[in-house]
Amino acid sequence: MDLTRRDLLATAAAGVALTRCGQTPPRRTASPRGSLVSISKAPGYTMDVYDSVYRMVAEHKLNVRGKRIVLKPNLVEFDPDTAINTHPLVVHAAYEAFRKLGAAEVKIAEGPGHRRGTLDLADAAGYFKTVPGFEDAFTDLNLDNVSQRVISQPVSQLKALYLPHTVLDCDLLVSLPKMKTHHWAGATLAMKNLFGVVPGGVYGWPKNVLHWAGIPESIVDLHYLFPRQFAIVDGIVGMEGNGPIQGTMKQAGVLVAGSDVAAVDATCCRIMGIDPAKIEYLRIARGVENLGESSFRQIGEPIRSVRTPFQLIDPWRQMIQAGA
Amino acid sequence: MTDWKYRQNRDGGWAYNKGCSWTEPTAFVMLAQSVTQVDGRSFDAASKFLLSMQREDGGWRPQPDVAESTWVTAVVALLPEEAIGPERLNRAVTWLEGQTGRESSWSYKLRQRIAGNNEKYPEGWPWFPGAAAWVIPTSLGILAFERELTRRGAPGLDAARLRARVNSGREYLFSRMCADGGWNHGSNRALGRDGDSYPETTGIALAALHRAPKSPLIERAKAAARRHLATCRTAEGIAWLRMGLQAHGENVQLKSEPAPRTTMDAALLAIASAARNPLLS
Repeated sequence: MDLTRRDLLATAAAGVALTRCGQTPPRRTASPRGSLVSISKAPGYTMDVYDSVYRMVAEHKLNVRGKRIVLKPNLVEFDPDTAINTHPLVVHAAYEAFRKLGAAEVKIAEGPGHRRGTLDLADAAGYFKTVPGFEDAFTDLNLDNVSQRVISQPVSQLKALYLPHTVLDCDLLVSLPKMKTHHWAGATLAMKNLFGVVPGGVYGWPKNVLHWAGIPESIVDLHYLFPRQFAIVDGIVGMEGNGPIQGTMKQAGVLVAGSDVAAVDATCCRIMGIDPAKIEYLRIARGVENLGESSFRQIGEPIRSVRTPFQLIDPWRQMIQAGA
Repeated sequence: MTDWKYRQNRDGGWAYNKGCSWTEPTAFVMLAQSVTQVDGRSFDAASKFLLSMQREDGGWRPQPDVAESTWVTAVVALLPEEAIGPERLNRAVTWLEGQTGRESSWSYKLRQRIAGNNEKYPEGWPWFPGAAAWVIPTSLGILAFERELTRRGAPGLDAARLRARVNSGREYLFSRMCADGGWNHGSNRALGRDGDSYPETTGIALAALHRAPKSPLIERAKAAARRHLATCRTAEGIAWLRMGLQAHGENVQLKSEPAPRTTMDAALLAIASAARNPLLS
């Protein structure tokens, strides 16, 4: 494998984390048994996505009336012809669904990790065109007002983080990630998507403090900083191979949703042909015994009917592929 | 957008776009004013805001609710001396001198040597203390130190050390150059694959290398900047590409000025179109 300095740097940082996690990883939650995860087939980015997203949100019986909702998509790069960013149609469908269900306020917010011009990025990704009044609804989390939050019982080396008011003050944070493979984390889904709430204006582009603190552990710490979450994963067209940026498009034709975000991620892994028990952050967050398929209550399409194995790069192919 | 005082917050600073004042856009608006039209009252209020943002350690925090000095210190160090005063400026440069990417620390290098990796890890600058060096903070660090080296006196600061950091910063930038000749955020290869460069980072790195000796690498970077300029649509990207190419003597004529989306965009565009670039020494 052709590693470079930067790769080694990241690997070393991750290595420190893996060494620690090689010891008994702490589990942070009670058993998720009974968590509801819904799967819906969605063959393309058509108007049907609006119905599917509304139905999925409604069937989880969330009490959103009068609540402040923040939708957090995954915006990474300018190229609209790839599967890097959450599709704007999915974001708009979620926006409309939460409004229809009586939310007092629905905001869209994101803090990209590499590019500083977030509005330019959102424009290039089609958000201005697809979401009417996008700019008024949108907050750049990299540049929002911030407050410091202490992380109680951190599993990473982080002790505290500055976080944007927009996400700290909301009643429900809705993670809207793209279903992608990730060259450092294995898969990037709803939990990893929360890296985008860490303000670049404080920590930079990329948010490298999270890498040094341990990538899987930072994912877990961020996850537990936001106890009120919901996730809708855009797996209509995902990314396989060298994700989250340089991979190739993968038609999976699926949306996955739920309030138990780790359960949603574990389900997405199964759809992608990845063993969730081998994804470090899921293991730390839940423990292997709580990641089995029977740990969650699934509604909608069964996994087997939407299973679309994603191509993985080495060394992940050997490590995390289901059955490996 | 360039009618700065209408977007200036009551505390004297500017937001990137909307919301509370931040150090970086405030310093960039002041730099833009310094080469366009200084509004005395607005400039003084901004100076006052910036003075309140310096920390005991000499560095600058990025915004009022953050209790850490960060990379924005380099942007403040680019301001005219009279904006913050020589003593505060010296402390800022001293703070910057103490900042390097974590990968160039002796302990990290030692671990790498033991693992059989003999890379040099030239000293760049991180965004946040304790993290690795990246392209934008390193570029700003180089520009700030070059400015410092042209200042009279600078008591207590070791010019040889500053020069060494400038050279090391340049070395860092060349080591992070993408295969296409430009720069991205600083990850030019991942898992053996080349990363693509971005317009804005290519422009800022090129500007930071304006005093570097002419070389084929600089020519490659200029070619990458020209390619980006032909397709780039963002005000941020165009402004930095213009500054980068102009820093190497290329006069960039645009068919039309891009529309700024944010205060920061407007400040960058104003600096890029000015007769003299206040970031360059």
